[in-house]
Amino acid sequence: MRPLSQIIDFMTLGSERPIWRLIAYYGVLAAVVFTLAYFIPATDQLLLGKGLDATPTQAGPLILQDGLRDVPAAQSALAAGSLAGLAITTALVLVGTLLLMLPVSWVYMSARHVPGHSQAVVQTLIILPLVVAGIVLIVRDSLALAFSLAGVVAAVRFRTNLRDTRDVVFIFLAIAVGFAAGVQTLAVGAVLTIIFNFVLLLTWRYDYGRNVLSPTAASRWAEPLNSLANEDDNGSVPDRDLVLTLTPENADALADRFERVSDVLGNRKKPRFTAVLSIMTDDVGEAQPRIEVVLDQMTRRWRLDEVVTHTGKPSQIYYITRLKKPVTRDQLLTAIREQAGDHIVNVDLETRDPTDEDVRIST
Amino acid sequence: MRRRCAVAFLIGVTAAGTACREASRANAGEKQEAELTAREGRLAGALAADGDRTRGKPLARWILPPELREVSGLALTADGRLLAHDDEQGKVFVIDPRRGVLLKKFTLGDRGLRADFEGIATAQSDIYLLASNGTVYQFQEGADGAAVQYTQLDSRLGRECEFEGVAIDPDSAWILLPCKNVKMKGMRDQLVIYRWHPERSDSSALSMLTIPLDQVVGSNGWKGLHPSDITIDPATGNYVLISSQEKALIELTPAGDVVRSVNLPGKPRQPEGVAISSDGLLIVSDEGTKGSASITLYKWPFTPSAASQ
Repeated sequence: MRPLSQIIDFMTLGSERPIWRLIAYYGVLAAVVFTLAYFIPATDQLLLGKGLDATPTQAGPLILQDGLRDVPAAQSALAAGSLAGLAITTALVLVGTLLLMLPVSWVYMSARHVPGHSQAVVQTLIILPLVVAGIVLIVRDSLALAFSLAGVVAAVRFRTNLRDTRDVVFIFLAIAVGFAAGVQTLAVGAVLTIIFNFVLLLTWRYDYGRNVLSPTAASRWAEPLNSLANEDDNGSVPDRDLVLTLTPENADALADRFERVSDVLGNRKKPRFTAVLSIMTDDVGEAQPRIEVVLDQMTRRWRLDEVVTHTGKPSQIYYITRLKKPVTRDQLLTAIREQAGDHIVNVDLETRDPTDEDVRIST
Repeated sequence: MRRRCAVAFLIGVTAAGTACREASRANAGEKQEAELTAREGRLAGALAADGDRTRGKPLARWILPPELREVSGLALTADGRLLAHDDEQGKVFVIDPRRGVLLKKFTLGDRGLRADFEGIATAQSDIYLLASNGTVYQFQEGADGAAVQYTQLDSRLGRECEFEGVAIDPDSAWILLPCKNVKMKGMRDQLVIYRWHPERSDSSALSMLTIPLDQVVGSNGWKGLHPSDITIDPATGNYVLISSQEKALIELTPAGDVVRSVNLPGKPRQPEGVAISSDGLLIVSDEGTKGSASITLYKWPFTPSAASQ
């Protein structure tokens, strides 16, 4: 896989973005198929779903097979009737299936909303379609074999629990690609996997369908940020899994934030700021002055840390604050909700005191 | 710079591949043309050969594409091309029978006419497609992939017969419709061929040729006769019928005299269509009951020694 990886690196100019790497992979694959189709013309039929032993049905003049003589030389090399032809057909089908499922497994591993993935599922995604394609190649048009297969499958029972319901979709895709390859319609399998991969990557990239009440990135990062700012933590990374799931760009951004927050929160006997206030809003311009009015009234000091804007989803505003002594977290959040409730989606306050309980208010 | 190199590399690979592909296609085209010329030469040689060596034996057999798995009727155009159609769709395929090339195909109607199509015939530039209920669709030949308009002619004979073949008598312009299954009581021991002239409205528009079945069957031992197609021998003007069920070939004079009544040569699975060329080629279509359909070319006429009479 090293040469393939190097080719993809070359074509993507070293980009680690999955979508560019995927495009590069399919480009390489298209070039290989093109070359193969050039040297072995009958490959076209394998890809276009007619099988090597089928007669093409395109418009225009078509040379009919001579029924009294041998099959034409162009098809004899790969005719399914010969032993070598059968072996080559099967090999092409299985290799094609493998090449189609590799990027699916990459997408499965990279485009995940939850950290970690199952290695068993990854390996299943590669192996399952090969088996399905082999079975379909054997069954072909035989009703008797199909019934036999159903009997065998019914006898072999297994069940497994998948962590993520989206894993089931990947398994279904693997079966579909196996079927497509088995009936020698690799083109259908190719289109299926290409569209599947890009749709999945895009939905992952843009966090499509995210519930606004679900935990935000701010709330996920708050704990490691606060832990990092804690003087007793000795600067260790608090959530290794979280860091591992980040892309290099996000990891750099997180490191910057760690450093900044650590500067203002940590390493002081009497820290100037003790809490991080995060707000999700669709209207930063309207929400920000209202929130700052509340902060002026209820905190000893505050500072705008960062405004993260998004296209197509709520933006995030981060403040670092130190509450006035009589003011509780609940009072601050309630006041913000009353003042700017029409303009905010979610508000969180994380303090450096680990005994405090996070309170989240959703409007 | 690296991006430009990558783009240039891809363009170079694509251009080189395209050039190689075109060269390969040109080479394949030359090979195909040589193969087609050889086919034509072999057929001409077999037709010119005299004696029993070629009579009753297939001179050529062309395997039809999956679209024609249910090939039904056959007809020859004036320039020697073969028209074929399938059972359910109004789609006509034009074939070069001597070289084994599917030249083109076109459909009836913009949306693709569907019916139980059973036979096809030609008369000068007109083409007639027959449905089993006796309805005839008249149209002109279309370009490859075209949808042609048609005129529907209703023989109103669907109650009397189920039809499977059609031919046009070039001398009288009669449309010949042999009954596959005779529904009229009292006529079931007859071979019935209707002669219909759709442009006439008087009593001369329709006549019926009947021949006792026992005369047609002769000593062949068939339990009946269910013609699946009819054509006209250009050399004699005789009617030539085939029957899929009995695997039979019958030749009749227009007056109804039986010239020959023989088993079809070879082992056709389901012979559905027949056509005869002016240079003595008998073409029989064989529906693909298991596997592909085909058309088989024989030397015509058969001699008595070619099949049991």
